[in-house]
Amino acid sequence: MPTPVSPEVAVLDERDASAEQLPDFTTEAYKDAYSRINAIVIEGEQEAYDNYMALGTLIPENKDELAKLAKMEMKHMKGFTSCGRNLGVTADMPFAKEFFGPLHQNFQKALKEDKVVTCLLIQALLIEAFAISAYHIYIPVADPFARKITEGVVKDEYLHLNYGELWLKNNFEASKEELFAANKENLPLIRSMLDQVASDAATLHMEKEDLIEDFLIGYQEALSEIGFNMREIARMAAAAL
Amino acid sequence: MNSPNQGEIEFNAYTYDRRQYMFGLIGHSTSFEAARRKASDLGFDHIAGGDLDVWCSAPPQLVENVEVTSATGKTISGAYIDSCFVPEMLSRFKTARRKVLNAMELAQKKGINITALGGFTSIIFENFNLLQHQHVRSTTLEWERFTTGNTHTAWVISRQVENNAPLLGIDLSKAKVAVVGATGDIGSAVCRWLSNRTGVAELLLVARQQQPLKDLQSELGGGRILTLEEALPEAEVVVWVASMPRTLEIDSATLRKPCLMIDGGYPKNLDAKVACEGVHVLKGGIVEFGSDIGWTMMEIAEMEKPQRQMFACFAEAMLLEFEQCHTNFSWGRNNITLEKMDFIGAASVRHGFSTLNLQGQPQAVVV
Repeated sequence: MPTPVSPEVAVLDERDASAEQLPDFTTEAYKDAYSRINAIVIEGEQEAYDNYMALGTLIPENKDELAKLAKMEMKHMKGFTSCGRNLGVTADMPFAKEFFGPLHQNFQKALKEDKVVTCLLIQALLIEAFAISAYHIYIPVADPFARKITEGVVKDEYLHLNYGELWLKNNFEASKEELFAANKENLPLIRSMLDQVASDAATLHMEKEDLIEDFLIGYQEALSEIGFNMREIARMAAAAL
Repeated sequence: MNSPNQGEIEFNAYTYDRRQYMFGLIGHSTSFEAARRKASDLGFDHIAGGDLDVWCSAPPQLVENVEVTSATGKTISGAYIDSCFVPEMLSRFKTARRKVLNAMELAQKKGINITALGGFTSIIFENFNLLQHQHVRSTTLEWERFTTGNTHTAWVISRQVENNAPLLGIDLSKAKVAVVGATGDIGSAVCRWLSNRTGVAELLLVARQQQPLKDLQSELGGGRILTLEEALPEAEVVVWVASMPRTLEIDSATLRKPCLMIDGGYPKNLDAKVACEGVHVLKGGIVEFGSDIGWTMMEIAEMEKPQRQMFACFAEAMLLEFEQCHTNFSWGRNNITLEKMDFIGAASVRHGFSTLNLQGQPQAVVV
């Protein structure tokens, strides 16, 4: 396309260099924000461990595989704990417990009711897509220690997302209505979690806009893989916006 | 699965995802308002009702599938991806960058062989130097799957000059042709073509930066470097391959009559600026296909005949697919050679495209 000369296009030449810079990992503001973000990540991995172990009781034929996934989450949790230690930050675990509270309750409720589809949507789709998008956005602005750890973690998380996708794809017709309902109930929680974390994430140079778009890309991709058509996906995504 | 209503886009993405896409087009709406209207038509109500912030976070969408049959009888299938970018996002550097990269990632993940970067997409790609951002999440973008489409655009604009100047009684061998945006990828290719293939009397070279202009002049072995104000009153033909500043005012009284103006910029807004008897504005870089294409997406590009007309850059992706030329044919700046223009031009004619011409009646191009 043409070389632009108009003023609205000329702004393209002015790179926003500041957005590309790494944050100063040593400031109090960074450490304060990190204490909450790090806690969320640790708590998220702990939740994931518990949830995959619990899913093993609902899908006994996949018990071993789910235990393997759960163990990976435990390893991630330890990795992220060391990231906080490396920066001299104490993770604010009470904050993180509260942060995951509503989603945790919904998972537990579904577990009690043997609603495997809802449990998978919460853990394997929503939480994994949320984690994958956040880790991808974190990696370029992470400190070198955390960067290396997160790069390893994100590869594993795809395996977890794939597990959920595959199970739901194989049971698509039977799961569809429950997935609509579970999405309607839980996707807004993810959105409000993103909103809650936005200002701390911004301190870490992670922008809310990026987090939302990347999450929606991952989640919609998963829904498409499972078997939803474009119109259904659009309707489901509406719950996030 | 929902059954589409008559006249509605086939939404069965699941089925389509399992078939082979061969060419792709990445486009966007011309404005935020137009984008919201289109989203509403398509049933994306959650986005349609959203404000600009919502759109900034909206993922790209594969919104339409299409089959195209060449004049040679060969049929290919393709997909249109809306990046959810709108021009109102141009001032948001990171947003614009993300929109382009995410749309490219989607094209690649769908397995599309060759995808054209339409509208502002290629401008953003080049100006933000997105070559540095080959990794999008877990995807490494394969550049050979993408083309700017600039070679075909440059060829079409050049042919539009050759075809339409005589219709106005302008003899190119005696005419001065101004190229505004001469040092850009398309501009420099048009200069190369006009200088080597048409024997125009004189090329008037206009651009913002002086050094690239001098380099171009030396490459061409001619051409006069002028400011826009100096060039316009002298030129019988003006090729605009730079977007027009909104504030730019052109005093039509100072223009030559007749004057052929080819509006090859994006967005196309020259018509309103120079409406005057004797000044003929032609939309540049637009082609028309020989038969209707069952798509709706060219409506958002405000084409006069949206079933047949499209940007030449989009058509380039189709041509490369027809020709099984799976490579980033147009890529980077100033890589467009006359040989490449010959290749894409010949393919354009062979597969049934014609250039948009003045009287609204496209003419088959004779190469």
